[in-house]
Amino acid sequence: MPMTLEATEPKKSKDSSVRDIYLPPERKKVSGGGVPHVSAKNFSIYYGEFEAVKKVSADIMSKYVTAIIGPSGCGKSTFLRSINRMNDLIPNCHTTGALMFDGEDVYGKFTDEVLLRKKIGMVFQKPNPFPKSIFDNIAYGPRLHGIKDRKTLEGIVEKSLRKAALWDEVCDRLDKNALGLSGGQQQRLCVARTLAVEPEILLLDEPTSALDPKATAKIEDLIQELRGSYTIMIVTHNMQQASRVSDYTMFFYEGVLIEHAPTAQLFTRPKDQMTEDYITGRFS
Amino acid sequence: MNLGTRKLLDRSFTALGIGSIVIMGLALLVVLAPIVSKGVGALVFRETIEHRKLLSTEFHRGDGRELEKEIALSNGYRQKAFDMLAVFDQELEQMTPERQEQYRESYDQVKTALRGLLGPLPGDTDPELARNRYGQTRWDKAEEKLRELLYEQKWDYSNPDVIAKPYDVSRAPGFAGTSLVRLFPYVEQNLDKMLLPEWTFYWGFITDSSIDAHFFGGIWPEIQGTLFLAIGAMLFAFPLGVIAAVYFTEYARDGFLTSMLRSANSTLAGVPSIVFGLFGLAFFINTLHVSESKSVLAGSLTLAIMILPTIIRASEEAILSVPKTYKEASLGLGSTKWNTIMTVILPAALPGILTGGVISLGRAAGETAPIIFTAAVSVGTAIGLGDVLSSPTPALSWNIYNLASEHEAAAQIRHVQYGMVLALVTVVLLLNLSAVILRARISKKLKG
Amino acid sequence: MQNSNGMIDDGASKQGRSSVFIVSARKRKLQKISQKSGEATLFLIASFVAIIVLFIFWFVARDAVPFFDSLHTFREFFTSSEWYPADDPPRFGALAIIYGSLMITVGSALIAVPMGILASICLSDILPFNVRQYVKPVIEMLAAIPSVAYGFFALVVFAPLLQNSGGPILMWAWWLIATPFLLLMVIVASELLTTSIAKGAMKKTAHLGLILILGALALLLLYFVGNHLQGLMIMSGTNALNVSIILSFMALPTIVSVSEDALQAVGRDLREGSYALGATRAETIIKTVLPAASSGILAAVILGIMRALGETMVVWMASGNSSHIPDPWFNYLESVRTLTATIAGDMGEADQVTGSARFHVLFAMGLILLIVSFVSNLISERIVVRQRKVLSGQ
Repeated sequence: MPMTLEATEPKKSKDSSVRDIYLPPERKKVSGGGVPHVSAKNFSIYYGEFEAVKKVSADIMSKYVTAIIGPSGCGKSTFLRSINRMNDLIPNCHTTGALMFDGEDVYGKFTDEVLLRKKIGMVFQKPNPFPKSIFDNIAYGPRLHGIKDRKTLEGIVEKSLRKAALWDEVCDRLDKNALGLSGGQQQRLCVARTLAVEPEILLLDEPTSALDPKATAKIEDLIQELRGSYTIMIVTHNMQQASRVSDYTMFFYEGVLIEHAPTAQLFTRPKDQMTEDYITGRFS
Repeated sequence: MNLGTRKLLDRSFTALGIGSIVIMGLALLVVLAPIVSKGVGALVFRETIEHRKLLSTEFHRGDGRELEKEIALSNGYRQKAFDMLAVFDQELEQMTPERQEQYRESYDQVKTALRGLLGPLPGDTDPELARNRYGQTRWDKAEEKLRELLYEQKWDYSNPDVIAKPYDVSRAPGFAGTSLVRLFPYVEQNLDKMLLPEWTFYWGFITDSSIDAHFFGGIWPEIQGTLFLAIGAMLFAFPLGVIAAVYFTEYARDGFLTSMLRSANSTLAGVPSIVFGLFGLAFFINTLHVSESKSVLAGSLTLAIMILPTIIRASEEAILSVPKTYKEASLGLGSTKWNTIMTVILPAALPGILTGGVISLGRAAGETAPIIFTAAVSVGTAIGLGDVLSSPTPALSWNIYNLASEHEAAAQIRHVQYGMVLALVTVVLLLNLSAVILRARISKKLKG
Repeated sequence: MQNSNGMIDDGASKQGRSSVFIVSARKRKLQKISQKSGEATLFLIASFVAIIVLFIFWFVARDAVPFFDSLHTFREFFTSSEWYPADDPPRFGALAIIYGSLMITVGSALIAVPMGILASICLSDILPFNVRQYVKPVIEMLAAIPSVAYGFFALVVFAPLLQNSGGPILMWAWWLIATPFLLLMVIVASELLTTSIAKGAMKKTAHLGLILILGALALLLLYFVGNHLQGLMIMSGTNALNVSIILSFMALPTIVSVSEDALQAVGRDLREGSYALGATRAETIIKTVLPAASSGILAAVILGIMRALGETMVVWMASGNSSHIPDPWFNYLESVRTLTATIAGDMGEADQVTGSARFHVLFAMGLILLIVSFVSNLISERIVVRQRKVLSGQ
């Protein structure tokens, strides 16, 4: 049982931890979920001097879907990318405060970011398959982590593609270039590729912003499928999407976490005036 | 200004721009047309029986029995001309010394021209140089020689304001009244029977080595030398350049040091090629002593330094053009940075890197100045692969210069020079063409 | 990765369970070290280029310095044009050689710069995309042809042509180039003059009269200059004009591609702004696009000129290699000699006596070339950086 941040840090801001999950009737409770999986404590991200994310404290519940919303430039993507340390790619980016994953410090001195990223998979705004075959795309991760046996790889590829609901569409052309797939298929391929390394958390950075409505619906269905097996965080511009797919929602504004609550609660009875203004469309 | 004039100016401006592009295209045509048309003449030409004799004795090629039949045939016609010379020799002996003197000079010229056409005359000692052992091997050259036999060239100095102009005077009237006068029409009419010209495709121009300082034979030693030098340069420069490009694109942080390195790169790209030659001489040969004197190794190293900036730039561009998302995806899957570079970025950038490499290969093959002091010799046979560390080599680029500017009989072997230029230009342009094709395939592949 | 035996490793074992991504201090250290050393290796290889540049300066300068051991040789080198390196005592006056380099550089720039800029404008603003696709390979081929092939062409094809029928060639070139220009100038000048001198009803007649007068003047100019050119006697086809023309075509690809980049960088909105105010394409380009791209174009010109100055084979083969200052100084029909050709040509004889003054003077010439190329490179680099900053609005 992972230790929670609460145990070590008794003082918490009001929104950051949501114990009693408020779920609308159609969303089932997930067995074994609902413990803090990622915990931020006074967590800030700087680009040089600029503080892009300001002292965020929050617990992300395991096996549930957490949506992050907010106007563009509010730091929601930055926050998401900081969880598996993709921000390391940006020069001059540094953090303060604590970010714990399963009780281990993500930004600790002894953190191997490569192992970390294996545990925390990420899917990006634009579908970004490698210019390789579909099979090689999925097998890329497992191969990295030392799996060479063809049979094992085939098993992983099929399992991942099935999980991503793509198997039926591509099973007869696994050796074709992945760039020949449609945008929606490419994005599901990226999800499958991420699942193939068996992560615990899936970070989705506006995964449907480059897709048409039909492909978007499929991705949303997929998120529902994966809910309960993975802790999922999704950044989205689309508030309907957030309310459709997520169990919890975080609202960021100018780098500050304004409100973090069960989705149904946040969209119907927001505690903060700013949240209400945003979700009712007074600003965007 | 009214609108009409403004529009006129606009049109003229457009015309100027298009005009200058058209001029560039024309310039390309004007430069390439003679090189291609005359260069092909080194391979495809009407070879005379002398050429077949040459191939048979020097390279042991051709059908010996057939050749003997031809020789017998041509000798029949030649003999008649030689007989005329013999008759005139007798006539000459019976003349007074003054008359002998009158014919002497002109007669010698006739004999020289005849030697040039048909090879050694009866009674000549066996010549030392290969160029004197055979007559004209090419029909087009034979026709020129025939002119020399029939006409004497004189210069017109009558107008002091203009540069003297040459004009031809027929030789036959000079021998009026002697038996030799019959020689001229006889040779003119029967030259084709003496030389038996036929069209040929002389592959050997590419694969044979040269005979007697390129009077005959092919250019294989030069081609081989060029290949050695260019490939040697790539062996050094390509890995270095790609690794440096990886550093610049993936690791270098913006700062003073990086900007210094980048400046150094563009400085190196701007150094005049002759200075590379000086540096190669002063550093590789006189300081490091990589070899006693000029060698393929020293030349390759010098060329490698010259093409390094091009390779670095092309590789940098290729790496930068790989979508950033590939890198993110790979790192997101838990790949290390080095692994990402090796398995995702470099494979995706490979066509672009190769394009730069291929263009640099062409540049290394075509450059002359850096190898003058470091690797090139004017005459020489093809060297073995084992000698590259210590021996200099002939190379296409240098030998084009050498044959065109410093060869003792540059005007007589124009066809060889054109052939060499064509070979060099073909190699370089083919390399560039393959680069263009590669580039076209990149965009296709990236689009899926 | 997993410290199953519960080793005490700072953060890792606090929870008393196998860790997911926290690794032992030793392992982390090893990782860091291998990372750093890998990066250092890469850095060393990348800095190889800088080391080479330093070495080039050092080794060329090392062999050049002994030549300038006394003020006398230094002064002679730059002020005298007596180049008799084989005499005893040798004379090393390189003024004529430096002048020759300058002359062919200026000559080729005079041809290549206007043509190159016009061609790059044409490529970036005038030609439609599908035509551009065919023009680019032409430019690339011009750049790819080896210099020795250009030299061979200059020596074997162009020089005899120039020597035998240089006069008529120059005359036709003059007529073809100057006629449209003069025609245009007559039309524009007459219109401008009309608006400034005549008013109302007089306008039409004044315009017609001006066209006639200026047209006649232009015709006279065309005729007399053409006549003069035709009568020119060209002693040798291997001269500064020949080399300048060939070099200009070798410098063109550099100028065109670099200045096209500069023009492309200007962006569409600037052009659209100008078109929206009713400017023609030529006016848009000249008044709006060119000024914005001017520094990039300047950099292109510098790079192109350096290509001409540093070129060896063409000048060696086709400049005539005579070390004297032409008379009059702008006479492009005379043979000249350049720094590059002198280095290439004299090293053969100087080579045997490495260390002689004759050997060192060639390195001195190399050093001059090196310094000039270094400085101009630096300048063009600064210019490009500055333009990028201006365009990105910093």
